[in-house]
Formats: sequence, C-alpha cells, structure tokens
Amino acid sequence: MSNASAPQSEQELLNARLEQANQQLLQSEKLAAIGQLAAGVAHEINNPVGYVYSNLQTLDNYLNDLFRLTEAVDNARCIEDLRQIKQNIDYDFLKDDLRDLLAESREGIERVKTIIAAMKDFSHIEEEEFKPADLHRGIETTLNVVNNELKYKAEVVREFGDLPEVECIISQINQVIMNLLVNAAHAIETFGRITIRTRQKGSTVVVEVQDTGRGISPEHRHRIFEPFFTTKPVGKGTGLGLSLSFNIIEKHQGTLDVESAPGEGTCFRITLPIVHPDTDNE
Amino acid sequence: MIKIQLVDDERNILSALRRLLKPEGWEVHTYDNVEEALGSLKDHEYAVIISDFRMPTADGVTYLQFAKQRQPDAVRLVLSAYGDRESMIKAINQAEVHRYLSKPWEDHEVISAIRSAIDLYQLKKENQRLRRENERQKDMIRAREEELLRLETENPGITRVQRDTDGSVLLSDDD
Repeated sequence: MSNASAPQSEQELLNARLEQANQQLLQSEKLAAIGQLAAGVAHEINNPVGYVYSNLQTLDNYLNDLFRLTEAVDNARCIEDLRQIKQNIDYDFLKDDLRDLLAESREGIERVKTIIAAMKDFSHIEEEEFKPADLHRGIETTLNVVNNELKYKAEVVREFGDLPEVECIISQINQVIMNLLVNAAHAIETFGRITIRTRQKGSTVVVEVQDTGRGISPEHRHRIFEPFFTTKPVGKGTGLGLSLSFNIIEKHQGTLDVESAPGEGTCFRITLPIVHPDTDNE
Repeated sequence: MIKIQLVDDERNILSALRRLLKPEGWEVHTYDNVEEALGSLKDHEYAVIISDFRMPTADGVTYLQFAKQRQPDAVRLVLSAYGDRESMIKAINQAEVHRYLSKPWEDHEVISAIRSAIDLYQLKKENQRLRRENERQKDMIRAREEELLRLETENPGITRVQRDTDGSVLLSDDD
C-alpha cells in the first residue's frame, strides 16, 4: 500500500505542474491575443481622437471670432460696426456648426470611453473564480474589443435568446468568444456575415458563432484543437487560440463543437452548464 | 476653383476636415464610401485626393490606385489611424502618395500638406499647358516652313531676296 501512495503523490505533483503550465500558457495566449488586438484598438481610438483633437483646434478659432464680437461691444462706435463684425465672422454658420462640433466631439469621447471600458471588462485579470455572469454582456464587451477586426470583414448579427446568469470565469469565456470571432473574421475572404446565437437548452446554455467564410477543410477538421496547429500565415496566428479555448470550455465542464462546410462557412458551438458542477457540490 | 476630395468611412472625420478646410476657400467634396468617391471622379477634376487607409470594401491604397488611373494629375494623400510599416510602404510604392499623414493630426500639418499638394498639382498643370503651347508654336513654325518650301519649289528663288550693302532689296528681271 505504501508503494502505491508514492507514485500517487508523484502523479499529483505532475498534475499540479501540468495545471500550472496550462495556466501559464493560457496567460501568455491571452497576452498574445491582446497584443494582436492592440494595433486594431489603436486604430479604433485614433479615429475619434483624431477628429476630437482637430475639432478642438477649430473650436479655438471659433472662440477667437466670438470674443472679437463680444469685446467689440465695448469699443464699437455704433451698432452697425457690431453687425459688420458679426457678418465677417459668419456668425450664423458658426452658431450652427458649434453645436455639431460639440455633439460630434462628445460622440468621439464616448467611443473612446466604451473601448477603454471594454478593454478593462475584457481582461478582468483579477477574476479567476467561477461566478454567475451575464454572457450577453460578455459578448457585447468582446464585440467592442474586436470591432476593428470585424467591421471591415463582416456584418455582425445577434440572435440572442433569453439566458440566465451562467456560472463561469467570464474573462475566460470572453477570451474564447474573442478567438472564435477573430477566427470567423479571418475565414472570410472579402465581406460576409458573422452570426452570434444564444439560447438556453435544459440545464445548459448554448452560444454559437457562425461565419460565412471559407470553411475548414476535412483534413484539417480533426487538428484544429491541437496546440500550435494553424493555417494562418506566420505571425498571424499562434496556433493556440482554439486549443486553449477547448481547454477553457473543458474546465467549465462544457463542450466546444464545430460544424463546417468548405466554401459555405463554419459554426462553433459552445455548450456550458448553467451551474458549474464543482461549485454545486460545495 | 481648386477641388479637393476627402474619403473616409468615418463621417465625423469628414466633418472635422471640412471645418478645418473651410477658411482656405477650396471646394471640398466628402465621401464616406469608396464606390461614390470613385463615381465622382467622372464628374469632377480634383487637385488633391485624401483617403483613409482602412475602409470597408476597399482599402485606401487600392482606391488611390484607381484614382491614379482615372486622374493621374490629382495629388494623392493618405490620412490614416493605422500607421504600420506595411501599409505605408504600400501607399508609397503602389499608390505613389505625396504624403502619409496620421490620425490624430495637427491641423497645420494637414493644411500645409494640402497646400504643397496643390502647388505640385498646379506645377504639373502649368507644365502641361506650357508643353502644349510649345507644341502649338512648333506646329505653326513647321507649317510656315512647309509653305515656304512649297513656294520655293513652285517659284525657285521667290523666298530669297538679294540685298545690297545698305540692306536695300535688289530687284532684277533676269527671267
């Protein structure tokens, strides 16, 4: 009996080390994914910052014009002078345009805010425990983060059903959904459609990410969840996205399935238990 | 009137640029999609075309390449939030852009880039006008020479006159 307990503990040690290695891999894949996204997010932020910044410079000119008018109130000899200045600075245009300028700039700042909030929501590095979470919110957050990767490649269609809160590590589920969305966008040659479907099925929830891309060829089908397997050009993919997604879903006691028809598209289906079995026992 | 075309899928960028360019007095046309921008190349002759880089359906470099074929004289500029090496090299080598500007931009930088582009456009136009003028004048000279040659073959000596040392024309009735 004592003989058996030694290999047992050794196995436990190995298991623990494997688990640790898996964690590290997960973390580095997350960082790689965020790194890849960073360029895209910079683009997303530079656009609104671009016009807000330019609008502020224009606002400066508008203000100078307006001050010229208000200061003339003290110096002008007659009302006719004031009218002249008002006409010179194109007051009517200025008045209309100021409103637009402010509204557009506010819209820009709102967009930057949304992106930053989504990045924060998305990463959630501190949260590593199973907690009830709103999957739809997670999906929206993820969509905001990868918007730049998607918007030039596909129209995103949401077919959301009613979902209860699901016990999961939401940051990890977000990461899986991000992988699926980015893969879907990469699979589309010119412009297509990505459909995100959610529904409750008994004691589980189902999230589907379907694209109208080139599909997965049958000889690749059984390899897609292998670590480091990728058909993307060097530098485009780490080959870890799907294998880690698979691990994450497995850890959640769920399943990740794929259906694909070459030339027609691919559908990834995540099935997750609403109540995580381990926490159920506690 | 100098015409400028702006292409960007983001409407607010177009409004900000419109505001910026208004005091310059140029005629500014804005398009938020490549298809309409392409269509307008048939109706308007632009001095400067400024395009975003990343847009749905076609990227800015592809658009500017089209524009280069349709209007080779228009000077091309890119205004992009996506400043990676690859896109810049593509813009320079394929679309032969005059400047690559990045978002967010400094207003005075955009203005001076456009001014320099307009100068370049006007130089090209002036050069073409002078070349045409030159061709026209050469043609005129050639036509005159031919006429003289014709007169000379018909009436040998008619194109030449004899003068004395004081410069007076000498007429003789040898024939």
